[in-house]
Amino acid sequence: MKKISRRKFVEGTSAGIVAVAAIPAVEAQQKTAPAAPSVNPTVPRTAIKLNVNGVDHRIEVEDRWTLVELLRDHLELTGTKIGCDRGECGACTVLVDGTPLYSCSQLAVWMNGRSIQTVEGLAKNGKLDPLQEAFIEHDAPQCGYCTSGQLMIAKALLMKNARPTRDEVRTAMTGNLCRCSNYNHYVEAVMAAGVKA
Amino acid sequence: MTPLKTVGHGTHRIDALQRVTGAAKYTSDIHLPGMLYARVLRSPHPHARIRKIDVSKAMALPGVNAILTHENCDITWGSGDQLNQRRLFNNPVRFAGDPVAAIAAIDRHVAEDATHLIEVDYEVLPFLTDVEEALKPGAVVIHEGGNLSLNNQRQPVPQTYKRGNVADGLKAADHVFEGNFTSAHHNNAQLEMRVSVATWSGDKLTVYAATQGIANCRTDIARDLKMNVDNVRVISEYMGGGFGNKNQCQDSDLMAAMLAKQAGAPVKLEFTRKEDFVAVHGRWSSKQSYKVGVKNDGTLTAIQMTALTGAGAYRKGSCDLSGTEIYQVPHLETSVSPVYTNTAVAANYRAPAYPQAVFGIESLMDDVAYGLKMDPMEFRLKNMTRKFRDQTPYTSIGLEDCIRKGAEKFEWKKRWKPEPGSGAGPVKRGVGMAMGMFGSGLGRSSAVARLDGQGQYQLHVGVTDVGTAAKTTMGLIAAEELGVPLEKVTVVWGDTDTCPYSVGESGSRTTVQTGMAVIEAVRDLKKQIAEKGAPKGNDVLTAMATTNPPPLQGASRNSFAAHFAEVEVNIETGHVIVTRFVSAHDSGRVVNPLPAQSQVQGGAIQGIGMALHEELLYDKRSGQPLNAGYYGARIMTHLDAPPVDVVWVETDEPYGPFGAKTLGEPTIIPTVAAVANAVYNAIGRRVKSLPITRDKILQALAKNGDVA
Repeated sequence: MKKISRRKFVEGTSAGIVAVAAIPAVEAQQKTAPAAPSVNPTVPRTAIKLNVNGVDHRIEVEDRWTLVELLRDHLELTGTKIGCDRGECGACTVLVDGTPLYSCSQLAVWMNGRSIQTVEGLAKNGKLDPLQEAFIEHDAPQCGYCTSGQLMIAKALLMKNARPTRDEVRTAMTGNLCRCSNYNHYVEAVMAAGVKA
Repeated sequence: MTPLKTVGHGTHRIDALQRVTGAAKYTSDIHLPGMLYARVLRSPHPHARIRKIDVSKAMALPGVNAILTHENCDITWGSGDQLNQRRLFNNPVRFAGDPVAAIAAIDRHVAEDATHLIEVDYEVLPFLTDVEEALKPGAVVIHEGGNLSLNNQRQPVPQTYKRGNVADGLKAADHVFEGNFTSAHHNNAQLEMRVSVATWSGDKLTVYAATQGIANCRTDIARDLKMNVDNVRVISEYMGGGFGNKNQCQDSDLMAAMLAKQAGAPVKLEFTRKEDFVAVHGRWSSKQSYKVGVKNDGTLTAIQMTALTGAGAYRKGSCDLSGTEIYQVPHLETSVSPVYTNTAVAANYRAPAYPQAVFGIESLMDDVAYGLKMDPMEFRLKNMTRKFRDQTPYTSIGLEDCIRKGAEKFEWKKRWKPEPGSGAGPVKRGVGMAMGMFGSGLGRSSAVARLDGQGQYQLHVGVTDVGTAAKTTMGLIAAEELGVPLEKVTVVWGDTDTCPYSVGESGSRTTVQTGMAVIEAVRDLKKQIAEKGAPKGNDVLTAMATTNPPPLQGASRNSFAAHFAEVEVNIETGHVIVTRFVSAHDSGRVVNPLPAQSQVQGGAIQGIGMALHEELLYDKRSGQPLNAGYYGARIMTHLDAPPVDVVWVETDEPYGPFGAKTLGEPTIIPTVAAVANAVYNAIGRRVKSLPITRDKILQALAKNGDVA
């Protein structure tokens, strides 16, 4: 990765991703990686600032990019999965300012000034979130492809309701499909994590 | 059965941490330097000949690097059709969704844009979507030789099985019952869509494939691209489900490889969710007709089944039906005719030939039991299979225990109501049950076991783990045989460069077949350790085993199951909720009860979706699929899923690794019929076509009779 000054970046000599450690010393040196080359200058691009898992990013995005594309293709956060890319399955669920959203159905440009949490941001200081521990304990993931989304929707639920009933869990998570259909174990895991929290 | 130290105890998956942290790298997570993105242009017509195809405008779009069509890419996709030559790009196109072109471009938006710039001049041909219409004289011909597909011996006649003489059996019967049942084409719908990443280094090709079997995927790619198999490497580290639609190599693997070759850069080809529903494959539909002869005391004398199955536009699967084998009956005839139509292709989906056929036979047997005023459970205990095809003894059979113990757990005697449809409305409760069985044959597989100078064991197995916990299973089997804890065994999987042949996760064969190879390799390793001593420093001991047991003579190896369902049917809305479900399974010794339970519960819940919701609908006038995608398919959600109780019947099985038999696929086999029979018990009317949707239930109630 090439290091450039903030001024150079702002002057627009190099559009790109800027990731910095959370909050302090934003004016200090920042990192940049080349954005996807703009092959078509007629495609509008917009510079946005957002925070992902505690890390600030400045990036110029194509206005047609979705949030999940930004996360997966440009921020290398591939833990969030695409199961349908059309708002049906919930595999791409992330938290935007604490609210669970399908990241395939959010445009990246809408994320200016927002704070995103993905599955990669669940474990803190090398310690798993109680939900992650419970998911392992109860064998919640089979193929695992929907798991990140199930974790994030469950996280959102437990933040609002630390001791949900079985039916509250099922209702909250019903927008997250699991074709292995391991719903029983997902619900048990969330209930167990709720008790621990 | 003797308890074991490691095998048989609920153990967390060895890759569970990767699965809950987002660290697991699935095929779509692979990003290679300079990688291009690909999209496929598909036929909008159900049947058409391409007169002309002009890619010049698409090629001129900045960022487009390569375009394949039938004009510049004549590759036969061998595993795409067992009988006909199916190319990557076919002309004529035979279903709405048949690939016409594939484009590689600098990003997926440019690739998508380019699909709109390709100009195709189609000569639109007549088409058909219905299997019965397809067999009428003068019907549109989809493949040379007619719309009745060949049988498995490549003859233009139905696939048949016969024992005894059905006419004699029906003559000897006190009662003859008849019934017609149909099942819909529905989709595997695994969360991970079809995706392939291909990259060339000189004449060597590496494909990151979402495949259920890396070894077969590799040999298929080499065959279709006319390459030396040593020049093909297939990697599948994590796999997001398949349920049979990622067996072998897929067209996306070949398209990505050819695009990468033409573009001179790595290519990632991702199908969309709609493509996954329309252009991959689902379970074949069926129309089944039965005659069953029975004595007054409930003894079966004859079963006759004739059926049509919907192959779709190509013959990718066996399109067979298997259900009658669960009954003991002296006279049996079955005849199945796969038929082509201009619709989505049908092939393997979890126990491909079973749940729809078991729905048919078990629905009719329910009618027989009620007709004779017998408890359907007692009827099944009386008539269930005792020997394979009434002839060959089973190596072990726990079917009776599955029925008895499952019924006990379910409280069948208390919950079953002898008078179907009785009880006050508007919500009627009912229960149903059904049986199932599945082959658990032995077969070829390989494994490599190593011990290094640091005392760590390595096990190399060519499994991919589609969600079954296969790599953990292999590690457990090795640890058990070695007498060490699982942590002492490092499992290496998912890469043809580092792993020997495994059959792959189809036919629920990994535990049995690759598990036996693991045991053999470990035994050899132990022998070497005994002879040479444990290795020190940089020394490594290596043992490789390939097991290829001959087919069993005079014995048949099968898994068995009985499922029990309770439903509530709202007779005002037709809405069905499954409130209680018990799955009882004989899969021999259960190697890892924790993920095994996940599989049984998941199989049952998938099956409930098949019973009540799922169907890929076609508009007959346009030949267009109407509901491709999750929303339209209405697969089961958290709110639909009942708790599923699992009952293990661990028979003492003399063959297989520590007596393990097949599990993954049997978990869905009896489910559909159990739910259907519960609906009948609830409302006293039988819906004879899958899925059992609200409209059919309301229709049955309105006309006060059964509905087709």
